[in-house]
Amino acid sequence: MVKAVKGTLVKCDASIKAMLVDIDSKRNNEFIIEDLDEEHVLVKETKVKELKQLLQSMLKERLKEPESSDSE
Amino acid sequence: MSASSSQALEYLELLPRQTHTKLYEQPATALAVYRCMLPHLAKSIVMAMLYMPHPFSVGALNDWFRPSAKKDKEKSLAVLEQLHIIVLKQDANNQRSYELYPGFQRSLRQALQGSGTHRSFGVPANTPDQDKVSVAFLDEYARRKWENILFYMVGSTVGLQTGSRAENEIGNGTITLLKMGEFIQQAHGRVSITRAGFTFVLQETNAQVWSLLIVYLKHAPDLGMQETEVLSFLFMLGSLELGQDYTTSTLSPTQLQMLEDLSAFGIVYRSSKNASTFYPTRLAVTLTSDAGALASAEPISNALTGSSSTRNSSQQGFIIVETNYRIYAYTSSLLQIAVLSLFTKLTTRFPNLVSGKLTKESITRAVKLGISSQQIISYLNSNAHPQMQKQRPFLPPTVMDQIRLWEYEGERVETSIGYLMKEFHSDAEYRDLANYAESLGVLVWRNDSRKVFFVDRVEQISLYLKKKAQR
Repeated sequence: MVKAVKGTLVKCDASIKAMLVDIDSKRNNEFIIEDLDEEHVLVKETKVKELKQLLQSMLKERLKEPESSDSE
Repeated sequence: MSASSSQALEYLELLPRQTHTKLYEQPATALAVYRCMLPHLAKSIVMAMLYMPHPFSVGALNDWFRPSAKKDKEKSLAVLEQLHIIVLKQDANNQRSYELYPGFQRSLRQALQGSGTHRSFGVPANTPDQDKVSVAFLDEYARRKWENILFYMVGSTVGLQTGSRAENEIGNGTITLLKMGEFIQQAHGRVSITRAGFTFVLQETNAQVWSLLIVYLKHAPDLGMQETEVLSFLFMLGSLELGQDYTTSTLSPTQLQMLEDLSAFGIVYRSSKNASTFYPTRLAVTLTSDAGALASAEPISNALTGSSSTRNSSQQGFIIVETNYRIYAYTSSLLQIAVLSLFTKLTTRFPNLVSGKLTKESITRAVKLGISSQQIISYLNSNAHPQMQKQRPFLPPTVMDQIRLWEYEGERVETSIGYLMKEFHSDAEYRDLANYAESLGVLVWRNDSRKVFFVDRVEQISLYLKKKAQR
C-alpha cells in the first residue's frame, strides 16, 4: 500500500545538505525523517525552524563573510 | 481565473459538501463560483452539462478532449469534484458518468435566466436617496480606508510616526482581525509586520481583500456567524452595481452585523450606522470579477493603490531601477514610500520623488523580515515606470539576479510543507499517481529511480486512490 508521510521537503546544495545531515547526527537524528537524494531531505515539520537556525550559526562559524563594500 | 481569486478557491475547495450544497442554494453564489473560481475549461464542461437531461458518460466526455489535453481535463474535473459541482456516478451496468449536483444546476439556471423570486442579487433601495453619493466619492472612500489598513501594517514597522495615527482610524475590530490572520504581531506594545503580512501588502488589491476576508470567514463562527451566510453575502456583494444604493431591509441579522465590519474595511459604504441603505464600493464589486487580473491595462485594480495626488501617474507605475541599483520612485504617497523602504536604502526625498539604492544590507534585512526576493522583484516589476516598460524585461537582469543572489546568501535552503508519497508496488502505479499529481499541479519534487514524490496537498490524491481501489 502506498504511504504518505507528512513533513517538510528541504531543497538545498549538496554541501549544505552535508551540513544538515551532520547537525542531525550530532543531535540524535531528531530532525531528518528521510534522506532523499543529493539535494533533498525530508524534515519534521515542527523542527524546521530550529534546524535553520543551527545551520545559520554553523555557516557563520565556518565561513568568513567578505567585507561588503557599500560605497555610494 | 485570476491569481487573486486562487486563494479564495483554495479556501472554498476545503469546505465540506454540506457547506457547498447550502451555498449553491443562492443563485448569486452559484454564478459567482462559476464566473470567477473555475478554470475556463471547467466552465465549458459545466456549460455543456447544464441543460443535459441525462448524466454525461465518462467515455463521451473523454471523446471531447484531445489525448494531449489529458492534464488540463483532469485538473478541471478535479476542481469541479472538489467544489461538489459534479459527481461521478456508477449505475447498475457499471457505466460511469458525470452529473451536475441538482442544487447547483438549478441555481445556475436561475441565475442565467433570471427566473425565480430569490433576492440573492441584492435589492436596490426604493426611495431615492436625498444625498446620493457619487462613484468618485466611493472610490476615494474605499481607497482611504484600505490604504489606512496597509499603512497601519507597514508604517508602524518602518517606524513612521503616523503609523499610530492610522491606528485610531482603522478600528479595533480590524486590528484584531489582522492579528488573528497573523499579518501583524504585537510585542512590547509595538506593532510589527509578519512574513504573511508582507505577502499580503505586496499583493494586488483584489488579492489583499480576499486574504483579509478569508481570515474573517475562518473566524466567523467565533463571532456567532454562520460561515455559509457570510460567504453568500460576499458573493452577493460581488454581483452588485457600483454607485447604486441597496436596501438593508432584506438582510439577515448576521448580514447586518457583517455590513458594519465590512464598512470598516471600506468594502461597503453607509452614511451612518443605522442607515437603511448601503453602497458597495469598488472593492466589493471586483470581488468576483476577473478585472483585477488585467493589472496595468485595467484601471480598476490600480485605481485603489495609487495615492490621491499622483493618482494618474501612479496608475502606470512609478519606479525606475537603474543597472547601478539606484532606485527613483515618483510618488508622494507615504504608503508606497513605506513599502519601498522595507527593502531599499532610501536617501533623498523630494516633493514628488524619493530616491535610494538597493544594497546587500537592505535586501538581507528584508529577507530576514520574511520578504522573498521573488516578492521584491514582482513588486518592482508591477510598479515599473512606463519608461522602464519599454524594455523587456522591465528590470535590468543584473539587478534581478543580484537580488536573488543576496537572498540566497542569507537563506540557503528552500522548504515546502506537504507529504512524501512512497512504497509503491509497481513502476506503473508510481508513474500513474505521480503524473496525476503533476497534472493537478501539486507535485513539488519527484525521483523516478527511487519511486518517491512529494506533494504539497494530499486531499485529491487520496480521493483518487480511494476511487481506484473501488474499481
